[in-house]
Amino acid sequence: MSTIFPKWMNHFPTASAFGGAMALCTAVGVVWYYFTPKFWEVGYMPTQPGSGFPHHIHVGKLGLDCRYCHTQVENSAEANVPNVATCIGCHAENRVRDDIVPPARIQFVRDAYAADESIQWRRIHKLPDFVRNFPHNVHVDAGVSCYSCHGMIGRMPVVHQQEPISMGWCLDCHRDPTPHLVPKDKVTDLFWVEEQLAAAGNGPTQRSPGGEALLSELQKKPLHLLPENCGACHY
Amino acid sequence: MAGLTPEPETPRVLDPITGDGTLIDDPAVRPPLVLGNHSFHDITEIVCGYAENKPGRWWLPAFGVASSIAGMGGLFILYLVITGIGTWGLNNQVDWAWDITNFVFWIGIGHAGTLISAILCLLKQKWRTSINRAAEAMTIFAVICAATFPGIHVGRQWMAWMLFPIPNSNQIWPNFRSPLLWDVFAVSTYGTVSALFWYMGMIPDFATLRDRACLALKRNPDGPTLLPFIPLRVAKLRGLVYGFLAMGWRFSSRHWQTYERAYLILAGISTPLVLSVHSIVSFDFATSVIPGWHATIFPPYFVAGAIFGGFAMVLLLMIPSRELFPNMKDLITLRHLENMAKITLVTGMMVGFAYSMEFFIAWYGGNVYELDAFINRATGPYWWAYWTMISCNVLSPQVYWFKRMRTNPLVIFIVSAFITVGMWFERFVIIVTSLHRAFLPAEWGMFFPTPIDICIFVGSCGVFLTLFLLFLRFLPVFAMSELKAVLPQASPHYHPPAPPVDGTQAAHAQKRGHGE
Repeated sequence: MSTIFPKWMNHFPTASAFGGAMALCTAVGVVWYYFTPKFWEVGYMPTQPGSGFPHHIHVGKLGLDCRYCHTQVENSAEANVPNVATCIGCHAENRVRDDIVPPARIQFVRDAYAADESIQWRRIHKLPDFVRNFPHNVHVDAGVSCYSCHGMIGRMPVVHQQEPISMGWCLDCHRDPTPHLVPKDKVTDLFWVEEQLAAAGNGPTQRSPGGEALLSELQKKPLHLLPENCGACHY
Repeated sequence: MAGLTPEPETPRVLDPITGDGTLIDDPAVRPPLVLGNHSFHDITEIVCGYAENKPGRWWLPAFGVASSIAGMGGLFILYLVITGIGTWGLNNQVDWAWDITNFVFWIGIGHAGTLISAILCLLKQKWRTSINRAAEAMTIFAVICAATFPGIHVGRQWMAWMLFPIPNSNQIWPNFRSPLLWDVFAVSTYGTVSALFWYMGMIPDFATLRDRACLALKRNPDGPTLLPFIPLRVAKLRGLVYGFLAMGWRFSSRHWQTYERAYLILAGISTPLVLSVHSIVSFDFATSVIPGWHATIFPPYFVAGAIFGGFAMVLLLMIPSRELFPNMKDLITLRHLENMAKITLVTGMMVGFAYSMEFFIAWYGGNVYELDAFINRATGPYWWAYWTMISCNVLSPQVYWFKRMRTNPLVIFIVSAFITVGMWFERFVIIVTSLHRAFLPAEWGMFFPTPIDICIFVGSCGVFLTLFLLFLRFLPVFAMSELKAVLPQASPHYHPPAPPVDGTQAAHAQKRGHGE
C-alpha cells in the first residue's frame, strides 16, 4: 500500500551502512591524525626578536657547547636562557669583526645591554601547566642527549620544535630508554650523537650504541629511575 | 464473567472493592486486561489517535513549561562549563554530592521499565502489555538524564570522552579495576539495549501509523499543510517519518516470526541488566572503604531500591496520563495500578529491610567507625534527610496493605510522589552523610547545595518531562499488537456476549466479536 517512498529508497539501508562505516572510519582517521601534538606542535617556529640566534652558526660552525649559554642545565630543572651579558661577552664593540657580523644585525643585543633590559626570546618547547617543570638536570645526568628531545639544534638557523612532546612520547622513552642513552660526556655533543645514531643504522633517534650497557649502569643507582607513575610529572 | 459483559448504557457505578471488574481476586475469574469491550479496530483507533489527533488543551502549556525548565537546565549547565565546578556546593570533603545523587536517582528510575519489558515478558505477565511501552520510554529518558551528570561532574567536560577507554596520545587508560569504569560499560550497555528494545517493539506500530497516514493522504490529497507557507502535507510528512522508522515493515508472517524471536532475545539480554546495572552502580560505593558505603548488602539493596523508585515513577507518569487521555483508562485499568502498587509495597519492604540491616550490621560488626557513621546518619546534622527517607520510603507505602488505598489512583499518585522524593533522599543520605565525616575530625565538613546545583537537577526533571510529553504526542504509546492479543476476543475460549434484543445491537455485537 505504501508507495510513499521512491524505489531508490530500497538502496538506503545498504548505502547508509556503507556510508556510516566510511564516516566512522574517516572520523577516527581524522582524530587520529589531526588531534595530536604531533600534528599541531611539531614544527612550531616562532620569529625570534632582533635577528634571532642562529644556532647553526654558533653551534654548528663555531662549535659552542650547549652549556656555554644554557649554563644551569646540569644543576637545575630549567635549561636557562642566557642573559644579555653572555651575548656581550663575544659581541661587545670591537670584539667580533664587523665584516663577519654586520653591526646592524647585532645592534639589538647591544641596545638591550645598554638599556639593562632582557631580550624577549620566545620559548618553543612548552609543557602544559598541569605538568611539572621538565627536570633537565636529571635527564642530562642520566645520559639523555639534548638531541633526543630538541633534534639537531646545531643545524637550525631558527629553532623549531622537533618532537611532539606529548605524554605518549615521554612514556615511550621512559618505557624503553636504551635508544636515547649516550655516555655522559657526549650528552651535549650533538654532532657526535647524530653520527653515532646514523652509524647505528636505524636513522635518527632510533638506536644508541651501547644503550643497554648505559641503562644497566643507570639502574644500579639507588633512586627509583624511569618513573611511570602520575605523580612523577603531574602535581 | 464479571467485566466481560457488554458495557451498560448508564454511567458505571463502581463497586468499592472490585471496582470496574478488573479487581476481582477470585482465581476462577480471569479479570479483563482491557475494558470497554473494544474491538481490534478500536484499539488501533485509540492508540494511533494519540499520535494522530491533536491532544487536549493541556498539552501545549505543559510542553511549554517542561521544555522551558529543560532549557533553563541547559543554560545552567553551560554556565557550569564556562565557570567551573566551583559553582556547585561540593567541596574537598564531600566531593561526591548533589550530582552523583542525581545520577544514581535517574539511573535507578529506569529499572522499572526494564523489569516490566524484560522480566515480566519472560514470566508471561500479560498485564505488562498496557504499560511496557511507556515504561521503556521512561527508562530511556531516565538514562539520558542520568548520563548527563557524570559527564558534567568530571570538571573539564571537554575531556569527558576519557570516561571511555579510547586510545589516545597520552597513552593512558582508565583504571580497569575501578567500578567507575564498569559503570560506564554498564550504563552504556543499558542505554543501548533499552533503546533497541524500545525501538524494535515500535516498528509494527510505526508501520500502522505509516499506512494510516498514506490512506489519509489518498483520501484527502489536499489535507492541511505543515505551515501555511510550506507546501508539505502533514499526512505526507507523517507517512515519510513513520515510514522511515518502520524500516519497510509489511506485516508479513515472516516479519512477525523474526520480530517475536528478536523480542525474546532482547528480553533475555535485558533481564540480567535489571540486576547488573544497579549492582555495578552500588559497587561505586561498596568497593571503597568509607564507613556507610563498604557493605556487602549494597547490590541487592540498590536493585530493590531502583525497582521501587522506578515503579513509583511509572505510576507518577501513568496516573496523570490516564486522567488526561480518558480512553486510556480502558487500557490501563485499576488492576494495572494495583499490581504496580503491590510491587512497590514489596520492594519498599525490601528497602526498609536493607535500612534496618545496615544498622544491625553496623552494631553487630563491632566496627566503631561504621556504627558512628550510622548513628550520625540518623542523629547527626543530616538527620532530616535520613528521616525524610525513612518516612517516604518505609512508612508511606504501608498504606498499600489496604485494597481501597492501592486501588485509588489519587492515593497511589501521592504515595508515588513521596517515594520518588524518598528515593532521591536515599541516595543523598548514602552519599553525603557517609562522606561528610571522615576518620579524623579535621576532615569533617558539610555540604549545602548552591542554586546552580538545584537548577541543574530541576532542569533534568524538565528534560525528562519534555521527552515524555513528546513521546505521548508523537509515538505509539501502547504496543497495539500485544494489546490486541490480550483482548477478551483474542482468547480461543471467548464467546460473544449473549444474543441482543434488537437488530442494531446485533450488528454492534457482531462487529465487536470479529474485529476489523
